[in-house]
Amino acid sequence: MSAVLGTAAVALGLAAAVLGMATLALGLRRNNPGMLRAGQRYVWLVLGGAVLATVAMQYALLSHDFSLKYVADNGSRSTPLLYTITTMWSALEGSILLWALVLAGYIAVMARHFRSRATDPIVAWATIVALGVAVFFFGLMAGPANPFRLVAGAVPLDGPGPNPLLQNHPLVAFHPPMLYLGYVGFTIPFAFALAALITGRLGEGWLVETRRWTLFAWGFLTVGIVLGAWWSYEVLGWGGYWAWDPVENASFLPWLTATAYVHSVMVQERRAMLRVWNLSLLVATFSLTILGTFLTRSGVLDSVHAFTESPIGPAILAFFVLVVAVSLVLIGSRGDKLRSPGSIDAPVSREAAFLANNVAFAAFAFVVLLGTVFPLLAEAINGDQLSVGAPYFNRMTAPIGFTLLFLMAVAPALPWRKASTETLHHRLLWPAWAGTLTVVACVASGLRGLGPLLAFGLAAFAGAAALRQLALSVRASRRAGQPVRQALLGRSNGGMVVHLGVVLVAVGFAASSSYGHRAQFRLAPGESARLAGHSVTYLGTTVEDRANKKTTSAQVRVDGGKVYEPALHQFQFGSQAIGSPSVRTGPFSDVYLTLIVPPDAAGVAVIGVNIQPLVAWLWAGGTVMGFGTFLAAWPGRRRRPSTSDPGPEVVTTPDDDIARPEPATVSS
Amino acid sequence: MSRRLSWAVLGLVLVGALAVGSGGRSGPPTEDQRVQRISSVVRCPTCRGLSAAQSDAPPAEAIREEVRRRVQAGETDAEVKGYLVSRYGEDILLQPKTDGVGIVVWALPLIGVTVAVGGLVLVLRKRRTRPGAKVSDADKALVEEALRS
Repeated sequence: MSAVLGTAAVALGLAAAVLGMATLALGLRRNNPGMLRAGQRYVWLVLGGAVLATVAMQYALLSHDFSLKYVADNGSRSTPLLYTITTMWSALEGSILLWALVLAGYIAVMARHFRSRATDPIVAWATIVALGVAVFFFGLMAGPANPFRLVAGAVPLDGPGPNPLLQNHPLVAFHPPMLYLGYVGFTIPFAFALAALITGRLGEGWLVETRRWTLFAWGFLTVGIVLGAWWSYEVLGWGGYWAWDPVENASFLPWLTATAYVHSVMVQERRAMLRVWNLSLLVATFSLTILGTFLTRSGVLDSVHAFTESPIGPAILAFFVLVVAVSLVLIGSRGDKLRSPGSIDAPVSREAAFLANNVAFAAFAFVVLLGTVFPLLAEAINGDQLSVGAPYFNRMTAPIGFTLLFLMAVAPALPWRKASTETLHHRLLWPAWAGTLTVVACVASGLRGLGPLLAFGLAAFAGAAALRQLALSVRASRRAGQPVRQALLGRSNGGMVVHLGVVLVAVGFAASSSYGHRAQFRLAPGESARLAGHSVTYLGTTVEDRANKKTTSAQVRVDGGKVYEPALHQFQFGSQAIGSPSVRTGPFSDVYLTLIVPPDAAGVAVIGVNIQPLVAWLWAGGTVMGFGTFLAAWPGRRRRPSTSDPGPEVVTTPDDDIARPEPATVSS
Repeated sequence: MSRRLSWAVLGLVLVGALAVGSGGRSGPPTEDQRVQRISSVVRCPTCRGLSAAQSDAPPAEAIREEVRRRVQAGETDAEVKGYLVSRYGEDILLQPKTDGVGIVVWALPLIGVTVAVGGLVLVLRKRRTRPGAKVSDADKALVEEALRS
């Protein structure tokens, strides 16, 4: 039953997307408003198809309908309810279904948001592009990645359940949906960018329309990546959270280009510059989400997430090439219209700082992309087997990271157009002292190493700069008699909150990767070991047999206090035992315990102990970044965006300090 | 305190602190440090992406023990890595060597950044020296007056 319903739902979504595109295209050709409105309505059918397909999949999973190949391969009667639900995104076909669902949702919200302008060609074209992307994903489900394929032969009585690593921690319910909300969200600004190129309305109108969409997608992606790091920390058991694994890089790449974009759009809005660059960044962001899907879902790179060798690899690669080619041709053909009327007046100005920021982010993305695909290219071209891993990425990206922290400290203090030395002195002196004194304090307390010290100093500098902006904003709204919360809303203030989150992440990253300690101890029950000022006492183990797994847990007392239980799970259908670490999280350091070898005949077990400082700052920083994005996207007191496209024009405003509540310029 | 002086003091304090803070340990690295240094750039053969220093998997532990044995026997870092490459293949190293095709992955970003930064400097300079719109004396006078009032 599920198979029939699911297949029909996928067909409905695919047909509706194709028909919607055709109707809109015809409506544009004939200049027929009725058809344009009708075309928009197909969006709801696409959403209906995606929702129905999801319901069918969930029903099949929950009712253990093993006649479906997907359920037979990834479901199991003994899997707990939560992980049965999350099984939908625990393997290739289901994760494409989740992608299609999120995409259909975004397109529907877009159609609703722009419903009063359904006859506007730019909206119609954007809908066509977005539906085109939907056609691709529904097409995958109708063809090579069909989640509703039936098993060949007899229906099995039970299945193996999802990958053991994906049924080990509740975060698996949040990390992938959050990440997909981020990835897929960039489809909407991308669709508008292409629509602007097609219609030739290349002013700042489309940017302003999609500004909040971009911010939301960026926020979701940020939170998704941080949740992924947290999942990796809590589940994988090696004591780290970021291994520069190709899958992690695949999510990080669009984040880097999107981060460059959310900064450089401000230059375009304010000064009407960098048009080609901004379009390129959006195209890059969207196509990198597709490339990431290719890298992680096609099996070209083996890792936890690259489920199997699959036939969808060539399809995704072809779609990636198509996206890039179409975008490049469109940008090329509009070259004359894209020339910017504005120019940069001084090398020490806000716009110049944004430019430098973009060079740094582009370099960052290039290094990560090159490092990720280089082993593939080298092997494909001359058969060399090479690895590019964490040491490479750390060494190459550290200088870029320092540059970005420095820019983050300086740029908010720079006025647009031109900065005087007087201004710089006045605005930067005390944040710079905050950074310097932080370095002095760290050195005085015995910390050594140029890298981490620079990171702490620059982070304090940037943090102080952001706090200064927020303090000025609070003062300004007090003076204006507005409630203080107003001082945190809006893009510039929310942006400073995001910067504070970045500072926390940078400090956590630098500290935990520089000052960690790890060791393995062979301990008999009752024995203790010491590492970096912490004591661990091994008490004993317990074994628990559950339906889907056998769990061996060690009881370990940390610092004479609470008992933690690192464990080893032997899943019913898994070949090797999966460890699950137990972590004592603290504001200043984590004690991370793993059970490496269960007790032998003499009762001696091997316990891994990992002491890492400030890891919790990463999770706190991620939360602050998400919250800051929310504040930045808050409507505030801005005027509604104008409904007509103002076309190319130079938007100029007098120098101003962004700490002031944002002035209502033409572009806001 | 004058503006320049305050920044000079800040610079001095910062450089001094960083100089003290980055002052390395005295003497040659200990055996533990060398084992750590070598095994952190060597891949754990069974777990993609993790280094032998990070992983608790038995093959990673075997590599760490092998590295320790060879360090104790007085081999240099290069000799130990050379042995591991001959035993496990080139892809055991987590960063490609700079001889051969691996040079690309190191050099390309450097070239790219150099070009980008050079381009940025050129753009900023060009903009700066580009003659703007013609300004007449009357316009200048107008500006002067506006600034005075």
